[in-house]
Amino acid sequence: MSLLTSLAVGILFAAGIYQILRRNVIRAAIGLVLLSNAVNLFLFSAGAYNGAAAAYSTATSQISDPLPQALVLTAIVISMGGFAFVLSLLYVISTRYKTSDSDEVKGLKN
Amino acid sequence: MPELIIPLILLPLGILAVLALRQARLTNPQAGWLFAVFPFTAFISLLYSASHMGEKGLTFSVPWIPALGLNFSLYLDGLSALFALLITGIGTLVVIYTGYYFDHGDHDHAEHPAIEYRFFAYTLLFMLAMLGLVLAGDLITLFLFWEGTSISSFLLIAYKFKDEAARKGAFKSLFITGGGGIAMLAGFVFIMSISGSADFKTVLASGDLLRNSPLYPVLFTLVVMGAFTKSAQFPAHIWLPEAMSAPTPASAFLHSATMVKAGIYLLARLNPAIGGTDLWFWVLSIFGITTMLVGAYLGFKQNDLKPLLAYSTVSQLGVLIALIGQDTEIAFKALVISILAHALYKSALFMSAGIIDHETGTRDIRKLGGLRKQMPIMFGIVSIAALSMAGLPPLFGFLAKETLLASATHPSLPAAIEFLFPLTTVLAGAFILAQAALLVRGVFLGKPADEKHPPHGHDPKIGFWLAPAIPAVLSLLIGITPVEPAFLVDFLAAAAKAAYGAKVKISLALWTGINVPLILSIIAITLGSLVFWQRGRIRAWMMNFLPNFTVNMLFNGTISGLDSLAATATKLQGGQMRFYLRVMIVSMIAIVVLFSRISLEMFTQNLTLGIEGFNGLRAFSLLMVVAAGLASVIIRRDLHAVIALGVSGLGVAVWMALDPSPDVALVQIVVDILSTVILILSLNILPRKQRDKANEILHSRKSMRRDVVIAGLAGLVMAAITFTALTTRPRESVVSPFYADNAKPLTGAKDIVGAIVVDFRAADTMIEIMVFAMAGLGIYTVLHFASRKEGEHSHIEKSKLNPPHTPLGIHGLPTSPLLHLLAYATLPLSLMLATTHMMYGHDMPGDGFTAGVIISLGIAMWYIIFGYEEVRRKLPWLNRNTLIAIGLLLSLLNAVGGMVFGGGFAAPVDYGAMLNLPLPTGFAITNSFLFEVAIALTVTGAATLILDNLGHPRDHHEEDAQPVSLKEQA
Repeated sequence: MSLLTSLAVGILFAAGIYQILRRNVIRAAIGLVLLSNAVNLFLFSAGAYNGAAAAYSTATSQISDPLPQALVLTAIVISMGGFAFVLSLLYVISTRYKTSDSDEVKGLKN
Repeated sequence: MPELIIPLILLPLGILAVLALRQARLTNPQAGWLFAVFPFTAFISLLYSASHMGEKGLTFSVPWIPALGLNFSLYLDGLSALFALLITGIGTLVVIYTGYYFDHGDHDHAEHPAIEYRFFAYTLLFMLAMLGLVLAGDLITLFLFWEGTSISSFLLIAYKFKDEAARKGAFKSLFITGGGGIAMLAGFVFIMSISGSADFKTVLASGDLLRNSPLYPVLFTLVVMGAFTKSAQFPAHIWLPEAMSAPTPASAFLHSATMVKAGIYLLARLNPAIGGTDLWFWVLSIFGITTMLVGAYLGFKQNDLKPLLAYSTVSQLGVLIALIGQDTEIAFKALVISILAHALYKSALFMSAGIIDHETGTRDIRKLGGLRKQMPIMFGIVSIAALSMAGLPPLFGFLAKETLLASATHPSLPAAIEFLFPLTTVLAGAFILAQAALLVRGVFLGKPADEKHPPHGHDPKIGFWLAPAIPAVLSLLIGITPVEPAFLVDFLAAAAKAAYGAKVKISLALWTGINVPLILSIIAITLGSLVFWQRGRIRAWMMNFLPNFTVNMLFNGTISGLDSLAATATKLQGGQMRFYLRVMIVSMIAIVVLFSRISLEMFTQNLTLGIEGFNGLRAFSLLMVVAAGLASVIIRRDLHAVIALGVSGLGVAVWMALDPSPDVALVQIVVDILSTVILILSLNILPRKQRDKANEILHSRKSMRRDVVIAGLAGLVMAAITFTALTTRPRESVVSPFYADNAKPLTGAKDIVGAIVVDFRAADTMIEIMVFAMAGLGIYTVLHFASRKEGEHSHIEKSKLNPPHTPLGIHGLPTSPLLHLLAYATLPLSLMLATTHMMYGHDMPGDGFTAGVIISLGIAMWYIIFGYEEVRRKLPWLNRNTLIAIGLLLSLLNAVGGMVFGGGFAAPVDYGAMLNLPLPTGFAITNSFLFEVAIALTVTGAATLILDNLGHPRDHHEEDAQPVSLKEQA
């Protein structure tokens, strides 16, 4: 299963990198989400042990590692905040430079 | 001994006093006297400590970074006491003097000028750093304070920052001394690793170890670079004359009496540990003697009093360095006597130069002259100090020069410099004498140099001249006193002993019979008088002869070379973001490939491990993630790509749910949906025309192919990292079992993940929601202020004036009543759902984040269906900023509540049980619950703020673009 997981992380990461290299800024924003999904997937699967039950103290069988879960939970929320902020910057680019093409944004105008 | 720390506490208090009183109705002189209390008290306290330190000295130490074996420690012995008393003693005088120096007699006017509080504060700051430097008990503490002196010196030199010369001088001094400081730190690291400790006691005791180490030449060079740059040794001396752009009190204090002696102190301090070798002797002698000659020679050329004094300081510093290089008792006797003598006469002369400048308006000897009648007191002070500088009897300076000459003619010197050393000393002595004579003659004697504009001036107020008078008179008293003051002799002997490493006998008798030093002294005086007599010719000759190449040219050349290098490097940056990204990504790939130990072998070895545990459902979820992710890349239309992205995120959630970890899966689902919503909303704010124009296909397929390669490589590297991490990770966790075992007993939560988020790592979560709130506020700020042009009102303000009441969705598109009904039903449902999440999140899946995002989703639906204005009208309670404020405040109060009732910041408290509230089973009003509420409120506020701002209809886009998203949908 690790092989598949790594492949999935790799492909998702590649897709994200490709997207952030696009001229269209909205594509770059999509790439950002793909990248953070890839990284969350990686961190999440990097727990010390896998379990059959959710991490509750009432669980009867082996629980899954709660630590990466808690950390990824935080990471998801933070990356969404950051992502929304990026979107607002895209708006600034669009209104100030009258373009959505990152290649046309050169230097600091106005 | 805790009393050692007292002076180091007093000076920051002084800085606070300065800052507190900066607006008070004080004149500068009053302020000077007032603030001088702090260094003076420090002086007294040090005097007390020094008289009680005994043979072994005093130490004080508190652990700083125990894990690294670092302490903050202080150490007072003879050597540090000598410097510390000089610093605080002269410091007191300088602070008093500063008050008068900045006094221009205009405080009778109604308008009261503020005192020069910055200068007082910087001076005390410097004093603190300098005092810490000499009191430091280990290498790292010393380094910290060392850098502190560089920085405060920079601030003082650049005090008149509007003056370009001041800025340049400050930069040069920081550049040179700061660079030396870094070299010195590296040297310290070597010393620490060889001797095994940073503490001076260990370092000084491991001298043989250090000297015999193969790394000795390296550490020696590095340490000496630090000392030489700080103490202005040739060729690093160039910063000192330019540092004279500092106000004179700073020059008197830093650049003659104290800071420039830091290098001397360092080498004297480390002499028992790393001194005494041939390398030590030759390097210190050669640089010291060269510096001595260069300083004496260049000083004689000067017309401005301050550079003249600065060069004579350079010369004197060279003498001190050369003395430390020698391994004889007499050299260290000469060292301590010279340090004291020089500090006394040079500070007096500098302060006097400042007074002359203050009273007459110039420091140029070509404009001064004949002032002895107008300024008799100053004439007296300067004469005494200058006689001491010239090394004439019966002043203290004479004694310093005698011991210096005795040391220069010591039989233990190697034959190669047997004659060179006395010769150069005599030569430098002659020039210094001529400089002193030039100073007195140029300012006070004869007729004014410029007959048409004779200088005007008179003796200043007593407080002003008292400051230079005290050290000047002391130079005389120590010289002529018939009985040697025992305490001074003991004190100097203790200082010399600490530096030499063995006992040094000190005597302060002026007359020791006719011997070689006396004869040399007489030669030097005669030669000096000759030079002075022929000064006109000699100076003219010096001006025309080889004055033109200086070390400064080398320095300036280096700096401008660096500048042009930087300019070239900047040209490479074309401003194209994608280029930067490509460079970064490719470099990261290269770094991983080159330096990580990931190899193909690891892959084949662990292949079986990688295949086992196959699970069809999980494989399906991964397929969903990957397929949808790739679809979002391939799909041409942005809206569809965004939807594919949302599907990919849901796939991640499915995978998480299968792990199984319901909490994270829930958060992933709601966050994914919310992200998709705001992404669709922001499609709306980027006009479609713009986006279509940015499409690559219209431009170049080449860059797309190149990016496919880059992305493919990056993905491969990432996959390799992941595979290695997943197959070779340790299977035992240290932390997780602790959380698993303690979640229930410590926090009462069944949900371990929830317990980690809101209890174990509560502070982390608190910061996290702050970041989230900050993102929301940041978006608000960006959209309201950054995006609008100058003079233009924010679009939101504009629409507030005229809110249209229409039951229409975004961009006024009509929506069906069925959708309205759905929206009306959804919001209360989402509120209810969120409440259960908050109430039971501690024992079941779900938490405050999920709750907050669920509410936001309900509101998002309203935004889409009813439109912006209508939502604002229908939901007046939805004040985003208030929600954020209440949420953050509640989370803080809650953490403090834990402190009050639970014994620790954010410690668990069960308020419900405390108040005996009848609550349904499974629900408890704990501070975890309150924290969940706080999180939900903050997240709701911030997420609504985001939706609000990104989803707001924008007038000016309607001109050039049709509403995009909904049209695309339709």
